[in-house]
Amino acid sequence: MNTRGRQIDSITEAAIDWLVRLDSGSASADDHTAFTAWLNADPRHQHAWQTISGLLDQPVAVLKEAEAQLPGQRRAARLALTSPERRKVLRNGTVALLLIGLGSYTLNRQLPLIALIADLHTATGERRQVRLADGSTLILNARSAVDIEFSAKNRLLTLREGEILVRTAPDPSRPLIVQTEHGQARALGTRFAVRRQDDHSELTVLEHRVQLTIANGVPQTFDAGASARFSAAGIQPLTEPAAPRAAWIDGQLDVRDRPLGEVIDALRPYKRGYLRISSQAAALRVFGVFPLDDPEAALLALVETQPIAIRRYGALVTLIKHRNEIE
Amino acid sequence: MPPPIASPEHTVHVLYQDYHRWLQHWLYRKVGCPHQAADLTQDTFVRVLGARNIDQLDEPRAFLMTLAQRVLFNFWRRRSLETAWLEALARQPESYAPSAEDYALVREAIEILDRLLDGLPLRVRKVFLMNRLEEMTHVEIARALSISVATVERDMKRALTHCYLTRLDAIPPSAADGPQP
Repeated sequence: MNTRGRQIDSITEAAIDWLVRLDSGSASADDHTAFTAWLNADPRHQHAWQTISGLLDQPVAVLKEAEAQLPGQRRAARLALTSPERRKVLRNGTVALLLIGLGSYTLNRQLPLIALIADLHTATGERRQVRLADGSTLILNARSAVDIEFSAKNRLLTLREGEILVRTAPDPSRPLIVQTEHGQARALGTRFAVRRQDDHSELTVLEHRVQLTIANGVPQTFDAGASARFSAAGIQPLTEPAAPRAAWIDGQLDVRDRPLGEVIDALRPYKRGYLRISSQAAALRVFGVFPLDDPEAALLALVETQPIAIRRYGALVTLIKHRNEIE
Repeated sequence: MPPPIASPEHTVHVLYQDYHRWLQHWLYRKVGCPHQAADLTQDTFVRVLGARNIDQLDEPRAFLMTLAQRVLFNFWRRRSLETAWLEALARQPESYAPSAEDYALVREAIEILDRLLDGLPLRVRKVFLMNRLEEMTHVEIARALSISVATVERDMKRALTHCYLTRLDAIPPSAADGPQP
């Protein structure tokens, strides 16, 4: 609905000004005194104030209540209401596309990429293999996004979200670099993977070597079979073997003595909606190989082997708890 | 002598008998779920009841399809909102979850906000929700979005005016505008 240019009466306008002023975070004692005077000057002022200050009362009260029980709800609501992708979809009227993401797996699809500068991303449950202009190959895990920028100086891949595996084509004059906000991985060989998480990123070297650099840090080189976690705080080698960490390219999740929370983190990009796990359940240790392309089967296998219970609300909410937490 | 005028209820009844299977099938092809298609068919016929001059329909299928498309659009709108919300929620660090009742209440609250803010540009929505929902000050919002405090204030006023007018438009027409005899 377009309400621009429509006039409202001056009393309502004054009530709006007062609400904006009083809730700005910098209202003075004088402002409050002046507001009280305005409010008491005319019953119509009180009426307008009630209307304006009560406009969002009901939905905001519900969300505040929810926030008190489960922090993060208001922020999630705001993000949903300002999701640019959703708005684009609705505006284009191509809303039917939303359904397609539910069950589509794009496996080993080769896409030629002509543009030197491009943004690539994968949806929930989607993996994608892309051939770059220089002959390098890129595999994106589900729910991943990467910007590609090739110049005369270097080949730069910026991982915005998720995880990629790179098989580099040799080009001595232009190094290939994968960067996240946490640091840069420079290829000194052919095959490696980078995973971006909220507070750190992880490098897994599968062939040859990779040089890792963080802000204000000395570069460190990692050989095939090694993996490391990096952030502005430092670089920390990991003890797990590298190969299982890249099993996702074959649609598998291969874990050996890892916390269940990590397993759920890896399944999340393959499952639509809301998958949550309690901290007690997240600490359980897991061994096994699970199918990424069938997250429901993976969850079922976990229920059979772990002391956990799964509860569902509708098609989109799945909760995992330790059996001890359930009366 | 003119033919007897059929009541709107009678016309809806006839439309329902003649077309509801066809409409449900059409909706099924759009949403791919028989239960949802049945619900959406019901919603469409509820809208038929609210339409005027339905006893003079030349093209009942085109008429029903137009109404069904509006119902479908609202359905997609709610569905995409819910998906965006769940995905945002899943990314929050806390590891517990709302009860089924809270879930329904919160979803409804978000839908109300979505309708109230419909038509506002993205930045205005962001500014407004950061202040009203997350209780951020104008200075904090200006810093978070790299805009001036004056812009925050202008966006706040625009959004409140918009919500006020949207609410005003949503108030049902008075009894004088009710069904004609």
